[in-house]
Amino acid sequence: MDKKVKVVPCSGIGKVYGLMAREAVLKTVFELCPEKSETVCLAYIVTGDKEVKEKIEGCDCITVDGCPKMCASKNVSIAGGIVVEEMKVLDTVKEHKGQKFGSPTQLNTDGDSVISEIAEKIAKKINEIN
Amino acid sequence: MSELKVGVISCSGEECLGGTISRLATRKVLEELKLVETVTLCLPLYLAGGKEERNFAKVFPTISVDGCDKFCAKRSTEKYSGKISGFIDVSKIIGNENALNTKIVRNKDLKDEHLQMADKVASEIVKMISSISPDSYSGKSFRGCSCGSNFDPGLKTM
Repeated sequence: MDKKVKVVPCSGIGKVYGLMAREAVLKTVFELCPEKSETVCLAYIVTGDKEVKEKIEGCDCITVDGCPKMCASKNVSIAGGIVVEEMKVLDTVKEHKGQKFGSPTQLNTDGDSVISEIAEKIAKKINEIN
Repeated sequence: MSELKVGVISCSGEECLGGTISRLATRKVLEELKLVETVTLCLPLYLAGGKEERNFAKVFPTISVDGCDKFCAKRSTEKYSGKISGFIDVSKIIGNENALNTKIVRNKDLKDEHLQMADKVASEIVKMISSISPDSYSGKSFRGCSCGSNFDPGLKTM
């Protein structure tokens, strides 16, 4: 079985927090922990196709959600992934009261800075697991 | 008065450039198209069982935008809300090699050529919206969105 931790964001399209989840995860898997982690398309996970099922079932997963609906976490669990950490963008955002982070299309400098913080948290968790 | 709306549901796939382009193009249509109220449906919420999102796609014409030929957004929408009004295969527009590029996925890595790809896909979405019969823009039983407390007809995202 592939040992890489699967890191899955919600990528919600309606609010900036969905983009923050997405960018934080991509920063983690491409820059911070490329050897230990990878992402899997959330929309693909939900199809239940054999290829993706084999990739996710029974694997350690970290989900990153942009809103309290926790869609990434729910969908990964339904697909058989083991969610070892549910990260919430809003937990980090709360530490930056009054700041604006950009739009659901593009992050601004503050948005970039906060996603770096979130990515560091994800990387820390990955390093604890692997 | 009837509400005039069209839903656009993007795969936003995280593994390849096609997903990023699908997302950007969908956002562009949402932000710039003024002829018809365009609503983006949040796919993860839709997939997680969002009743209002699924109901919207049953009532209003909805178009899926997929970054690759796995058609995850299209398949999911049809599974939960019935036949869609149209679908966009981004890989057909920007080429399979570009769509499946796994090196350039983050917004910050996008260059002008990628933004032009998003523009091209957005144009195709607009063309598809224009081809939908105006009679089908009108929903009759939509009650609102679950990501906010109440649906505001002025809001353009779900």
